Amino acid sequence: MSKLKENFNDKKMTAVIILSCLGIVSMLADIFSYKKALWYIVLAGVAGAIVANLNEKSNAIIYDMLLTDNYAIWFSTLILALVLLWFMVSKDQYESGVYNSSDNYALILFATVGALILTSFSDLTMMFLGIEILSIPLFILAGSNKKDVSSNEASLKYFLAGAFASGILLFGITFIYGSTGTFKLDKIADWANAAGSNLPALFYTGILLVMVGLAFKVSAAPFHFWTPDVYQGSPMFVTAFMATIVKGAAFAGFFRLFYTSFTSASGSWALILSILIAATILTGNIIAVYQSSVKRMLAYSSIAQAGYILLTVLLSNQEAKYALLLYIASYGVSTITAFTVLYHVEKIKGTDTFESFTSLSQTHPLLSVVMTIAMLSLAGIPPTIGFFAKFYLFSSVLKSNTSYLWLIMVSVAGSLVSVYYYFRVIIAMYGQHEPIISSEKKQIPAFYNVLLLLLVCVIIILGMMPDVLMSIDNL
Amino acid sequence: MEQIIFIILSLAAIISALVVIFSNNPVYSVLSLVITFFSIAGHFVLLNAQFLAIVNVIVYAGAIMVLFLFVIMLLNLNKSSEPSAPLIMKVASSVAGGLLFITLLGALRQSEASAGLSGGNIGSVESLGRTLFTNFLFPFEVSSVLFLSAMIGAVMLGKKNLKDS
Repeated sequence: MSKLKENFNDKKMTAVIILSCLGIVSMLADIFSYKKALWYIVLAGVAGAIVANLNEKSNAIIYDMLLTDNYAIWFSTLILALVLLWFMVSKDQYESGVYNSSDNYALILFATVGALILTSFSDLTMMFLGIEILSIPLFILAGSNKKDVSSNEASLKYFLAGAFASGILLFGITFIYGSTGTFKLDKIADWANAAGSNLPALFYTGILLVMVGLAFKVSAAPFHFWTPDVYQGSPMFVTAFMATIVKGAAFAGFFRLFYTSFTSASGSWALILSILIAATILTGNIIAVYQSSVKRMLAYSSIAQAGYILLTVLLSNQEAKYALLLYIASYGVSTITAFTVLYHVEKIKGTDTFESFTSLSQTHPLLSVVMTIAMLSLAGIPPTIGFFAKFYLFSSVLKSNTSYLWLIMVSVAGSLVSVYYYFRVIIAMYGQHEPIISSEKKQIPAFYNVLLLLLVCVIIILGMMPDVLMSIDNL
Repeated sequence: MEQIIFIILSLAAIISALVVIFSNNPVYSVLSLVITFFSIAGHFVLLNAQFLAIVNVIVYAGAIMVLFLFVIMLLNLNKSSEPSAPLIMKVASSVAGGLLFITLLGALRQSEASAGLSGGNIGSVESLGRTLFTNFLFPFEVSSVLFLSAMIGAVMLGKKNLKDS
């Protein structure tokens, strides 16, 4: 009992508490009619959570379940920053009157609590809970456009795929518990180190099942079949949330688990993971070429990007942490930017096909410039941050292990293919000149112009000086 | 004696699980799934996990399966209306499932029972409750966020869109 009390006085995890309370506040907005102020309250709350998170006592062990090491603090901060950005750009969708902002915001905030747990767990129970808290609000949000059949389909598909993946993940966790007798990440690592090369098959099977379950969540091939339909059917900013924050948090958890616990057993899973990565990069990039909807193209591109990010898990060393942080930051900011532009284009033109971008440079020069820079960043072309993230990732893989040269070649080939479909958008915007219909000239609110310019600045400035993220000590 | 009960329960579980898959009538599928759950609950009792056994019967066999039956009756699904999958899908899923089965079988065959996991009353309500409220207090509290979001979701999906009202 005294131990619990001691833990309570000393613990912090203020960000998790702030976000949970903020979720409840947002849930009650309808009843106490402060819905008009809700957006400001939520923004202030998330900003407060970022500050609280940066002041978090480092290396605190919370109830023996969470560990606030530097990795946890910085990945939580990154995820909270992306959430803050998300709330800013998604304002228009939730003010359009179709969606009830208070319910939607509450679910998003609860999902963020799950994301924070996923970056800081030190126990497999918490990892599972984190994944579930992250997923269940998203199952509902995917279907939040209730009149749209494809949104309903997205919700059901995501739910079935997610439940199946959770089952496999749990199966793997029981096997790991069965062989090691513990849920704690560091104790599993100690156990595996002590066992040396004498690891029982039960442990291997557990690792593989956990890997499959997590690969489902990060939509790596061949477990990606749900992704395109879910991403396309969901409302635009829910898709943006799934593609950036959910994916980023899932990767942070994936890396944390494999880096902390399974590095000494890497002989058993490295080959399988590298095949998974090659398959993911190839499928994602090649199928993306054939898409006619930009939203669906972005879904396949997010599959391909998942392949690149998985390289960090394969690497599992200190340098890979920086590569992961940089890549999630770069991919997150670029993807949110792309989805914001796509949202406005879809709103103006009514569709999200490549054709809807035709001669956008004449009617909306700013949107075109912003989309161009987002696409360049996703394709990994300097001077954007996407270039540096990819460069750093590939070079750190080669530096630590040259036997993965083939994998890097596959990745580079995949990136080359990706240039084709990212540039299709740019060419549509600048290449063709078609007579403009006056209804398509509608401009977007000034607030968004400022916001999009800000995002572009972030993409370019971070690309010029990535040292900002690299100078973190002891990640 | 225990061995005999174990074999009977296992046979019942496997046969009824096969009936779930192969039966053309969804009502038979659901009913044999109930039998599967009961036999698995029997296994839990044999392993001294009474609480799990009871929860398994109440939640799965009781609540969820009754819900299934209701849905089937309300939607009038008691005919086999499901289109059969193409052959390549059947082959692929059998191969994949078979490989998973072999992997699990191989892993379990080599394993030994861990010391410390087997004990007299490890599955009793008392020891489960004690573990839940001491070692696993924090996950227990955090799961409230999960249930709250599930509740909000149920309300949200049940409500009309703003523009409709």
